Amino acid sequence: MWNRGSFLFVLFLMNCLLFWNWQLQAAEPIDFRSQVAPILQQHCLRCHNPGKTNGKLSLATATHLVDLELVVPGMPDQSRLIEVITPATGDKRPLMPQEGAVLAASEIALLRTWVLEGAVWPVNFQIETPVSANKSWWSLQPISKLMPPSSLKSIPNWPTSPVDQFVLRRLQDNALTPSLSADRLALIRRVTFDLTGLPPTPEGVQSFLADQDPTAYEKLLDRLLASPQYGERWGRHWLDVMRFGESNGYEQNHVRDNAWPFRDYVIQSFNEDKPFDRFVLEQLAGDVVGQGNPRIEVATGFLVAGSFDSVGNGNPIARRLIRANTLDDVIAATGSSFLGLTINCCRCHDHKFDPIAQLDYYRVRAAFEGLQQTARVLATTEQKQRHDAQRAPLLKQLSAIEAQITELRRTVDNRINQERETLIEKLFPRPPVSKYGTTESFTPVEAKFVRFTILRSTGGTGKSAVSLDEFEIFSSEVPNRNLALAKSGAKASVRSMRYSNDDPLAYGAHHLNDGRFDAVWISGEPGGQLTIEFPKIEKIGSATWSVDRIRAYTPTRSGAFSAEYMLEASRDGQHWTAVAGHSGRQPYDESHLNDQLFIEALKPKEHKHHTALLEQQKSVRQQLAVIEVLPTAWIGTFSEPAEPTYLMQGGDPEKHGPNVAPASLGVLDQVVPSYRLAEDAPEANRREKLARWITHSENPLTPRVLANRIWHYHFGRGIVATPSDLGYNGGRPSHPQLLDWLAQQVLVRHWRWKPIHRLILTSQTYRQASTFHAAAAQIDADAHLLWRFPPRRLTAEAIRDSILEVAGRLDHKMGGAGFRLYEYTVDNVATYYPRDDVGQETYRRAVYHQNARAVKVDLLGEYDLPECALPAPHRNMTISPLQALTLQNHSFMIDMSRSFADRLIRESGPDKIDEQVTRAYQLAFARNPVPEETVAARSLIKDFGLLVFCRALYNANEFIYVH
Amino acid sequence: MSIDRNTDRRAWIGNLATGLAGISLAKLTGQFTENKALGKTDFVPRAKRVLQIFCPGGASHVDLWDYKPELERRDGQYLPEGAFLSFMGKNGPLMKSPWKFRQRGETGSWVTELLPQVGAHIDNMAFIHSMTSKSNTHGPGCQFMNTGFTADGFPANGAWASYALGSENDNLPSYVAITDVRGEPPSGPANWGSGFLPAEHQGISLNADRPIRNLASPAGISPRAEQASRQFLDLLNRHHQERNPGNSQLRARIAAYQLAARMQLSAPEAGDLAQETHATHDMYGTLDSNRFKAAYARNCLLARRFLERGVRFVTVYCASRASGVDGLMNWDAHKKLKADYERHCPIFDQPTAALLTDLKRSGLLDETLILWTSEFGRMPTRQEGTAGRDHNPDGFTTWMMGAGVKGGVHYGATDPLGRRSVQDIATVYDFYATVLHVLGLDFQQLGYYHNGIERRLTDVHGHVISEILA
Repeated sequence: MWNRGSFLFVLFLMNCLLFWNWQLQAAEPIDFRSQVAPILQQHCLRCHNPGKTNGKLSLATATHLVDLELVVPGMPDQSRLIEVITPATGDKRPLMPQEGAVLAASEIALLRTWVLEGAVWPVNFQIETPVSANKSWWSLQPISKLMPPSSLKSIPNWPTSPVDQFVLRRLQDNALTPSLSADRLALIRRVTFDLTGLPPTPEGVQSFLADQDPTAYEKLLDRLLASPQYGERWGRHWLDVMRFGESNGYEQNHVRDNAWPFRDYVIQSFNEDKPFDRFVLEQLAGDVVGQGNPRIEVATGFLVAGSFDSVGNGNPIARRLIRANTLDDVIAATGSSFLGLTINCCRCHDHKFDPIAQLDYYRVRAAFEGLQQTARVLATTEQKQRHDAQRAPLLKQLSAIEAQITELRRTVDNRINQERETLIEKLFPRPPVSKYGTTESFTPVEAKFVRFTILRSTGGTGKSAVSLDEFEIFSSEVPNRNLALAKSGAKASVRSMRYSNDDPLAYGAHHLNDGRFDAVWISGEPGGQLTIEFPKIEKIGSATWSVDRIRAYTPTRSGAFSAEYMLEASRDGQHWTAVAGHSGRQPYDESHLNDQLFIEALKPKEHKHHTALLEQQKSVRQQLAVIEVLPTAWIGTFSEPAEPTYLMQGGDPEKHGPNVAPASLGVLDQVVPSYRLAEDAPEANRREKLARWITHSENPLTPRVLANRIWHYHFGRGIVATPSDLGYNGGRPSHPQLLDWLAQQVLVRHWRWKPIHRLILTSQTYRQASTFHAAAAQIDADAHLLWRFPPRRLTAEAIRDSILEVAGRLDHKMGGAGFRLYEYTVDNVATYYPRDDVGQETYRRAVYHQNARAVKVDLLGEYDLPECALPAPHRNMTISPLQALTLQNHSFMIDMSRSFADRLIRESGPDKIDEQVTRAYQLAFARNPVPEETVAARSLIKDFGLLVFCRALYNANEFIYVH
Repeated sequence: MSIDRNTDRRAWIGNLATGLAGISLAKLTGQFTENKALGKTDFVPRAKRVLQIFCPGGASHVDLWDYKPELERRDGQYLPEGAFLSFMGKNGPLMKSPWKFRQRGETGSWVTELLPQVGAHIDNMAFIHSMTSKSNTHGPGCQFMNTGFTADGFPANGAWASYALGSENDNLPSYVAITDVRGEPPSGPANWGSGFLPAEHQGISLNADRPIRNLASPAGISPRAEQASRQFLDLLNRHHQERNPGNSQLRARIAAYQLAARMQLSAPEAGDLAQETHATHDMYGTLDSNRFKAAYARNCLLARRFLERGVRFVTVYCASRASGVDGLMNWDAHKKLKADYERHCPIFDQPTAALLTDLKRSGLLDETLILWTSEFGRMPTRQEGTAGRDHNPDGFTTWMMGAGVKGGVHYGATDPLGRRSVQDIATVYDFYATVLHVLGLDFQQLGYYHNGIERRLTDVHGHVISEILA
């Protein structure tokens, strides 16, 4: 790829020769269909097609060529089309095409001739958008029913099971031979990590080694597959694939505390070996097929597991684009997780490489058009009914009471309206507070302290936090002298303030007396209180405060201000005298004013009635409040779409194409029975129908993708190396026949995972040793053909879980709310700070970590826990110095090394160093130390203690590699 | 690792064993000759490394870099389109900049009077006045500016540079993101993530007050114990490797531990600002009484120390994210433009100018490409009911400077009011096509397969803005 430039140059030279040759022979008039159209299709239509229209130009038909006058018939030199494809000088790349190979000289010459001859485009002729794969692509074909091949020559001790025969044949085709069997130690460590993500216990190892039964290994598999840790390990794989994360992502990235029920659902589904077709159906339409059953309804967490922009937008065009982005995440996850199709590549145009039309993308979108990213009640029908039954009578009472209050209010308001102005003047002779500046003048008083208490804010509820940009206190002797200024030595303090983790002083008290009106103090409670202390006793006569002194805002727009307040003075900070208050001020907002007028205008009898009504209202509300709320989870809500789905030209929601009905994907219409629903079909039907089509027994993709994923996790690499992409851009199967045979087995075994695990794990292929053979590596360096078991590193979760397990600290508690390895703070947007000290509540399996988007926490992030904003069908395996720093120096590692050391003392005795070393090796590496290791370990422990020794074991390659 | 989709195409893409390590590991072990991150360029690079200065919050082009006399003349009038809608909703009438613009340098380019010291470098800057963004929202906007995508999960500019070119210094990270003392920019770590690229390419977030995490050996472990422990670990790994030959990952991990040990020495040295003279501290303003300015100055000085030690890509943030009050902690002046920018510009001006001067003086500028960016600009109108401006993704300014860039150039233009880009409209894709070009990379060739698509920093768009190249 890096050398494509020079390759193209050679191609260019070759074409020059052809070109001369060709010119000599040109005599026939140009035929558009056979000669021009293929050139346009190959070079231009990838971008200039009806779905994409780069530069607002499609070359599928003649329309744009004519409209934009890009071709002047008969005059190639005046034709823009010819100009842009012709190289200017030397080897400089022509303007077009921007991507891919430039046109050969012969092709340019042909187009010139076509223009010269009049640029004839046959009526209604449309050039198809090119794809690299068509519907004959391997993965789109029905699954072939294959018999295992016979080997070229039989191998002693190599079984004749189908998996092994398929593998052996590919090895022999490549002049390779398989390896011997792995020893039992290697095998139990390998398969235990593979199925549970945890190391085998020394006791488990012992009993496996001692078991003389020829089916000892099969019994081990049964035990591991039946253990609940299996679901924790393999459920995590699925969470990778379908981009499960526990925060909203994008700018605000608020954490989701209610997403974990879906994670538990996944783990549980694996443990009960739920058939995959059912698993798909539940995830797309669990609310439909399991209505009223929380254990199934929870599955729609799949749809809303991704990230989305939660900020909101004042621009409706931007809002539509954000909605399109949100659904794109769901469409992409659906296509890649279940079908191994990159449908998301068709949002703006037909797929460039696979035979997927843009229309298919919007067909899937139509299925999800009714989805909203939010939480939903997760309860049984019975629970919901009971809940409603408890609330209904109370709600009825409440509305009856409120009707009476409204009635009373209407009567009194009518009375007030007749004398409203007089009443206001009488009750509230002073003007309301002003956010631009409110002043109270009072009888001069001596004070060293002034205290300002905000009793009510101007905010909507009257109870919100309050902002002030300055608080000034003026001398009664020199009226312009502001005594509160910090530069005069005065100190401002506050009872509370809004807190920002980034800058703890961002909304601090210092803004109150800095003489500037830009930044504000914001209280950390409804209302608030501030105190100014002068350096000495002063005589004061007035105070002024504001939230927007510079009048940057219209009055309604600035932050909440002090509406009701009390100003007090003190000489000693102990004894306070009130000097001013809000009394007599007209209430700031209309509704508060009306409330005040209403109270004042009540006649005694009315007042009594009103008080009684309020009491009743309060009582009913209290009764409502104690009814337990129904649990909710982040599993989305559904509503009927207001409008039909439409094709968005170029992916732009503002460019309406034709309406699109919910329907099956055209890409598979030759192999799977199609369906098409009405444009306004109930949205639930749309999702259910799509799920049933995905898992239709004739759909070749779903079982292939599933079989390949299982293989991928067992061997570290799939038969196709791109498990979520079986298209042209993905890998080619290393064992195509084996893949189809396994896919067939998926169907035969009713979509269950565990029988497929058994098929693979009992194969000799899996049970081979990982011994290196230089000669084999010459042919197949990475053992893709499986001449040995490919050694590999543990995943991030397995590393952390093993550290805890070996230290004897792993808490095996399953399910429920997760734990966090970060401090979570919110100041409008969320920030996640990695924790230096992590407590025992984090000593759970890493699958229960609350992974947030874009947040990589130490050990997990550095060992390639994938970014959960996008699907991660396979894990990177990187090696970096930062991993080494974390595994040596993070306080967690010191804590675990200490626990590991304590465990050794506990289990082997305090002074028995050799026994401690042996036990440590058994726990960490599932083997005994060799004498040289014991000697070295003994010396290290004697000089520096067990902790240092344990920390070294954790850092050893052997601890995190499986052979 | 880079995915080998096909055994037949193995040579093209690398393999598991070799896709895991950067140039540094490759050099140490002498094994990794197929790695794509091998410092290969497509043509002669003009710059070896990049310094990006990012002012988050949407720094206003019409108040800083893009002088609009017509806006002064039409102050208080409505745009022909009236009270149009943008991010926060309705916009009011046009509002001229509260500050004067001045002509600076030999080119006489206009720049706000708020940046007297940065303005002194104007003849070295290549301005792109016609930038556009795909998002009017801070988070997606920042991600777009840094990763080429508004969505989460894509690799950042520096991760791509690290992936393509590797590191120049084995003992330091190849990509660092120096965050402001006031906090992270909008979308936080998504701005320096490695996305689906190998984790080693992610930006390491730090600043002058917050070193690399887990760098120091734990308190309870003495240097002698550390030494003995490493020897024991070597023994363990040696035995393990003898039993398991042919696994290059094991060698690479041993090398990574050696690297980590060296990083423990070299990273604190790189971050030790006390090694700088008093005059240098003075020039940057690290001791300024404004604590935000002093902190940013220390970060600028730290950036220079990283650059001279061969860190491939350094991003320095000046300001942070959307806080409880718009424009308080970053350039997001929705309501009090004048007060906000008179707070932010003095923080930005002197330290930034000092950094530019320092790089010029030391000759580092000849090998370093400097980028100044923000996620978008601001409207020429006042946001309704305020004395500030709303987000404007339709036209804004960025500039480049240093290696490979022509100074004193003004590419593209917004309309006479600064509302929209109208001439030589530039995209983030064009911006990075140009950046990669200066680094010697063909933006169409630098790709990485992920979930069905060969992904690029520039998506499937972009062209090199050759007009600003030297």
